[in-house]
Amino acid sequence: MRRVVVTGMGAVAPLGNDVRTFFEALLEGRSGVRRFQPSWAAAEYSQITAPVLSELTQHFTKLRRIALDRVAQLSLLAVKESVSQSGIDFSEDAGESAGIYWGTSLGGANSLETAYNDVLVTRAARLKPSTIVMVMNNAATGQIGIEYGIRGPSYTFSSACSSSNVAIGEAFRAIRFGLIKTAVAGGGEALLTQGVIKAWESLQTLAKVDPNRPETSCRPFSADRTGFVLGEGAAALILEDEQAAKQRGADILAEIVGYGNTTDAGHIAQPDQGGQARAIKAALTEAGMAPRQIDHINAHGTGTKVGDLSETNAIKQVFGAHARNVPISATKALHGHLMGATGALEMIAAIEAMRCRTAPPTAHLNNPDPECDLDYVSEGARTLSKLDAVMSNSFGFGGNNAVVIAKRYVP
Amino acid sequence: MNSLSIIQQLMIEEFGLEASQVGSEANLEELGVDSLATIEFMFLLEDKFKLRMSDNPVAVKTVGDIAREIDRLLAQQQAVSAASN
Repeated sequence: MRRVVVTGMGAVAPLGNDVRTFFEALLEGRSGVRRFQPSWAAAEYSQITAPVLSELTQHFTKLRRIALDRVAQLSLLAVKESVSQSGIDFSEDAGESAGIYWGTSLGGANSLETAYNDVLVTRAARLKPSTIVMVMNNAATGQIGIEYGIRGPSYTFSSACSSSNVAIGEAFRAIRFGLIKTAVAGGGEALLTQGVIKAWESLQTLAKVDPNRPETSCRPFSADRTGFVLGEGAAALILEDEQAAKQRGADILAEIVGYGNTTDAGHIAQPDQGGQARAIKAALTEAGMAPRQIDHINAHGTGTKVGDLSETNAIKQVFGAHARNVPISATKALHGHLMGATGALEMIAAIEAMRCRTAPPTAHLNNPDPECDLDYVSEGARTLSKLDAVMSNSFGFGGNNAVVIAKRYVP
Repeated sequence: MNSLSIIQQLMIEEFGLEASQVGSEANLEELGVDSLATIEFMFLLEDKFKLRMSDNPVAVKTVGDIAREIDRLLAQQQAVSAASN
């Protein structure tokens, strides 16, 4: 089996439009959560979001935008940074041995809502001809292929919050088993629309707004946690066969070594400690690693009562006594929950943490929960003397659990 | 009626093209105006000129093709209108 390395990363996120800006903001504990007060948003839950603030349209011609939903625009920008860092060229044969592995939960939500509004509210007789190709879940996947001439396999993964961790894991396997040499892997999400926000509002998993400090409303693992904040963005990684990357002289950022994917088969929305633990164990098994070899975990850590407790117990179940020694960061407190893009963004945070040997903080954890009693790096970013292997957890509605492990690359 | 100049102006506004690009013989595909963009543009022209395209639209390959199709439909519409008066 082949070794799989990361040679490029890109992010367009609430905390910044590139990996460096994003990660620096994480280390500094800056929040990307903003007040959001349209008349229709419930004051208690949904008057905060974690949006991408910069204007996207400047990056695309008017003609190109005709068929690009916001999720495709975010995705293309994240991929652009990753391809640029990697220095990879997909022309000629390289494009045929490369694949696209992309995650999203709701695809072109903005275009779908616009279409419904046009038909049902303004009674438009017809819609934009490009509506379908903007709404469909594989739109961003296809646009990435078009942009870079990637002509190998392409897959769109939609497993709610774990979508892009699944994308990374499946891309890793495809390279590991020799099916392809290169993959663009990650995910995009742009669902800050009225209909989607109202739907989440009803589910009662969103954080209650702190009226005095709304940017601190998401508090993973804290006793006063109430839920998560909806976010948007995209994150991309270039994964390569180690030999191919070395042959072209690429800078290797990290090595992906293990992936676990399980299904709870229990409840459609409630997390399951057992399913999560099995995914963690499966990733360790594939990596050939023992729990004590994991130096840092980027937790799923959404900030819900049941989710954080379940993840804490799943980590304890697999790691045993070592669970208390592993610094765990829940970065959603700062960048929000990017749903289908969150796994990839957090994988990037974990790899960056490894590269600079500094774990980002779990922000806003001011009231320890006796049941969530692990080391959550609540005091602020922490420099670690040893940080050579990281694990990133993503658990999705539907009961899907995806865990990816990366290591510092050693030739 | 010659709709060419109106169409050229709309292509500049809607697609962000330059005036020098949208000559009568300019090829739509070469301008980056693919089949989806062409349909979207024809919908726009229907609204602008208060026309209905044929159920069997003619193939348009150039900016001039669009203008000729619109002119033909406008003439057809005027003829129908005159006959009914």
